[in-house]
Amino acid sequence: MSVININKKTKSTQSLGVGTYTFLIVAVILSVFPLFWMVIAATNKSVDVISGTLIPGSNLATNYKNLIGSTNLWQAMWNSFKYAGIMTVLSLLVCSIAGYGFEIYHDKHKDRLFSFLLLAMMIPFAAVMIPLYQMVSEYGLLNSTAGFVLPTISTPFLIMLFRQNSRSFPHEIIDAARIDGLSEIGIFIRIYIPTQKAVFAAAVTVVFMNGWNNYLWPKIIMQSNDSISMPMLIAGLQSGYVTDYGVLMLSVLFCILPMLIIFFAMQRYFTQGITGSIK
Amino acid sequence: MSHKKQKQMQIKSKLTVENKLSITGWFFILPATLLIFAMSFYPMFKALYMSFRTGIGVNMEWAGLYNFTRMLKDKIFMQSVRNNFFYLIIQVPIMLVLAITLASILNNPKLKYKGLFRILLFLPCATPLVAYSVIFRSLFAIDGYFNTILLNFGILSKAYNFLGHPTSAKIVIIIALIWRWTGYNIVFYLAGLQNIDPSIYEAVKLEGASKFQTFFSITAPLLKPMILLTSIMSINGTLQLFDESVNLTAGGPANASITMSHYIYNLSFKYVPNFGYAAALSYVILLLVAFLALIQMKVVDVRD
Amino acid sequence: MKKILFTLACITIAASSLLMASGQKEATVDTSKSDELVVWLWDMGFNGATMQKAAEIYKEDHPEFNLVIEDQGDWNTLQTKLTTIASSGKLDSLPDILLIQDNAFQKNYMSFPEVFTDLSNTNIDYTQFASGKTGYSVIDGKNYGVPFDNGAVIFGYRTDILAKAGYTIDDFTDITWSQWLKQARVVLEKTGKPLLSAQAGSSDIINMMLQSAGASLFNTDGSPNIVNNDVLYKVAETYMQMLDDGTCIEATDWSGYTNSFSSGAVAGTMTGCWIAATIQGATDQAGKWKITNMPSLDGIPTATNYSNNGGSSWAVTSACKNVDLAADFFAMTFGSSMELYDAVAQNGVLGTYLPSANSSVYSQPNEFFSGQPIMSIITEFAGKVPAIEGGAYYYDARDAVCTAITQIQSGAVAKEAFQDAQDTVNFMMGN
Repeated sequence: MSVININKKTKSTQSLGVGTYTFLIVAVILSVFPLFWMVIAATNKSVDVISGTLIPGSNLATNYKNLIGSTNLWQAMWNSFKYAGIMTVLSLLVCSIAGYGFEIYHDKHKDRLFSFLLLAMMIPFAAVMIPLYQMVSEYGLLNSTAGFVLPTISTPFLIMLFRQNSRSFPHEIIDAARIDGLSEIGIFIRIYIPTQKAVFAAAVTVVFMNGWNNYLWPKIIMQSNDSISMPMLIAGLQSGYVTDYGVLMLSVLFCILPMLIIFFAMQRYFTQGITGSIK
Repeated sequence: MSHKKQKQMQIKSKLTVENKLSITGWFFILPATLLIFAMSFYPMFKALYMSFRTGIGVNMEWAGLYNFTRMLKDKIFMQSVRNNFFYLIIQVPIMLVLAITLASILNNPKLKYKGLFRILLFLPCATPLVAYSVIFRSLFAIDGYFNTILLNFGILSKAYNFLGHPTSAKIVIIIALIWRWTGYNIVFYLAGLQNIDPSIYEAVKLEGASKFQTFFSITAPLLKPMILLTSIMSINGTLQLFDESVNLTAGGPANASITMSHYIYNLSFKYVPNFGYAAALSYVILLLVAFLALIQMKVVDVRD
Repeated sequence: MKKILFTLACITIAASSLLMASGQKEATVDTSKSDELVVWLWDMGFNGATMQKAAEIYKEDHPEFNLVIEDQGDWNTLQTKLTTIASSGKLDSLPDILLIQDNAFQKNYMSFPEVFTDLSNTNIDYTQFASGKTGYSVIDGKNYGVPFDNGAVIFGYRTDILAKAGYTIDDFTDITWSQWLKQARVVLEKTGKPLLSAQAGSSDIINMMLQSAGASLFNTDGSPNIVNNDVLYKVAETYMQMLDDGTCIEATDWSGYTNSFSSGAVAGTMTGCWIAATIQGATDQAGKWKITNMPSLDGIPTATNYSNNGGSSWAVTSACKNVDLAADFFAMTFGSSMELYDAVAQNGVLGTYLPSANSSVYSQPNEFFSGQPIMSIITEFAGKVPAIEGGAYYYDARDAVCTAITQIQSGAVAKEAFQDAQDTVNFMMGN
């Protein structure tokens, strides 16, 4: 397997001007403002939050106490983590191999099938919710992780992500590997996956996020108190006649944190050049 | 050697390498395909059946094409179709261009604090809807931050009710969408950019190409598969737009910003439920997205 | 080939066993015993706490009784679940008891009649509840719901600001809207503060005014009554007038609305009595508020100073295996227990059980509201709210009228806008 030599780190190609940095910094300020606002809000009393204060308050501890006292925060965090985590693993497994299959072994029939599969993401979820509920309820999967993940393990979107990305995967590598006597599945696991860390990282990020933020579906299948997810917990905090905005925004901070951690862990794979060279 | 085995051997020998690979491919795509058939197409088929029925709640009866002729007279639905296309035409191009530009900056090896910049730009799409709708409404409220700034700089002489006027309400939705989804698209472009060999840039630079030339002659063509993916995804997302319409403007003022999905949701879960009609409207969305996606696939999805 | 098949099989087995394991572990089969009731509700601090207290009280005489409360987050979630379950025909995944918003009661009964259980022939005494309240859950003369919380309309004023304009709370009690408009203009002139704020795109004020005159958007036969509804025109005219005068301002959303009076920018508010808890959130305004009834419409013979906004009722579902137990539970608690209403009053929960007006807890003065016994006052108001024709198409009509009002605000002719609204509702009714 010494045939292939994928280029390692290359020297800089473009220099960055002041204009580019200014543009980037403006974009960053715009996208950070809401987080800044939420952090401020989480430290303030409800009345001050709605009056639009931008000064940190001293109510953080009280807000935390109220949040813990009125909700099952850690249970919801764990549930969301479990739902989104299992979904990410299964989704990536099923869709990456399918996306690879659709591209590397493409022919007229597979291309047609793929176009047809794309239809599956084009109908509003509200339209298929009732039949899906019938199925999930039939199999006794209410209040379960299985019920949560089943409808979205395989999504045309994720298959397409892997399919599109496989297009620029050099075919010479595959041919060389075949000559070396590697099986097809072996090529996928030992050659394709290691060189595609960036796309897997992107997929982990978005699938985890979609699972974590999914609201409409868990809203109907999660019925018992201990199966509640984070978006449901947040919705519950603004359901009553009185909404405490300080507590609400603190719960929102808890809700974004895991997603940011995942993204932060994954973004280091977005580095220039196909990183995992083959030995 | 038994007769059976002999036959198998014969078949096997007939299989060319090509055929073998093709079958391998079918096995690779099988689990995903089966799941989509069971979890998407089966319920969609049920919804299709439902779209030919009408009634209240569970009391449904066969109605033929009634729902499909009925929607032509539905003023709110027609308004929502117009709104969706307004969002689509303005928001999707702006967002995708912005995302590609930012992604190529973020991919530049010379950029300092890359990880930090990336996470900060990703932040908006991780923000839960609750927070973001509260923030956007307060930004654009009559006594909100935005009006305050415009008044202080003397750009406006009187506070403007952004969410209270049909066009400005729609523009607020577009701004919110761009804000929320640009980072999401950046993720895909960043992943796509990893497949571009940096030495290509080096070569082009030596030839003295400008940044724009480099972008249009190298980056854009190589990102084509990802551009197709993100544009189909964005068109689909915009035509199924729901959250922003519900939470930012509540479809208002006077349905001026309501989307098709929002209206369908209202028909099923807020008003007296009419699932038949709601399902028929859903199929209109399906046809619209499918049509646009098909054109794109035909134009863009060609292998060199 | 073999290798591929093997790997695929492994993946499939791994995945499915993972799913099954998690599925089996969590799928708790509801083997509800005959002395157990499961209830779905939202807002644990308010609705949930009340149910918990009711269960405690009932348990004293029925030690084997067990109540399981499952918090569904918010009303939208509960409605979405109810709709999905009922229309998928899986009625057995419903709980025994549901909390239902009053305005949605008729709609849900009409759409899913098989979900509800008739509670007429039980020992719950419905005459002990405000008639304006029980009306929501009575269909064809049968009681399908047990009345719970109160949505009686109160008008709260900042008395310190009224005083600056030379008024007291009495000047705003038992008045008509024309008097209110006149006095509110004076207040605005002298203090610069509007007396009322509303949430833009919400028709709460319109509906409260309509109901105060016993009017609704529906005729007795259920058909929409919009374009020829004289009361509605009067209401729209009054509302436009206060917006024009600046005595009422519109906020873009709910938090903007509550902020308008919490921040002191607006000197009064009118909505369901549950707003009292939010008003009291602005602790710096303690002792400066008083509540009274709402103004009545001018020139309408049926006009009153009382109305309703919000509130919910309990329903027993067809999945309930022990209807007698559920009915007895409600009769012994929500239908007769002063102890219950006294106990939950501190959470700000006010029932519509009329005898509670005389309770000693209810007549205690509230320091925030300048020593007024607000709970007794509200319960008294609740008894005077006119009952109206609710109609299953309540939400359809409310949204249509809301759209019409917005159009009138931006210059449309009232008659045309209401005609459009009526057409929309008729369209919705046409299936």
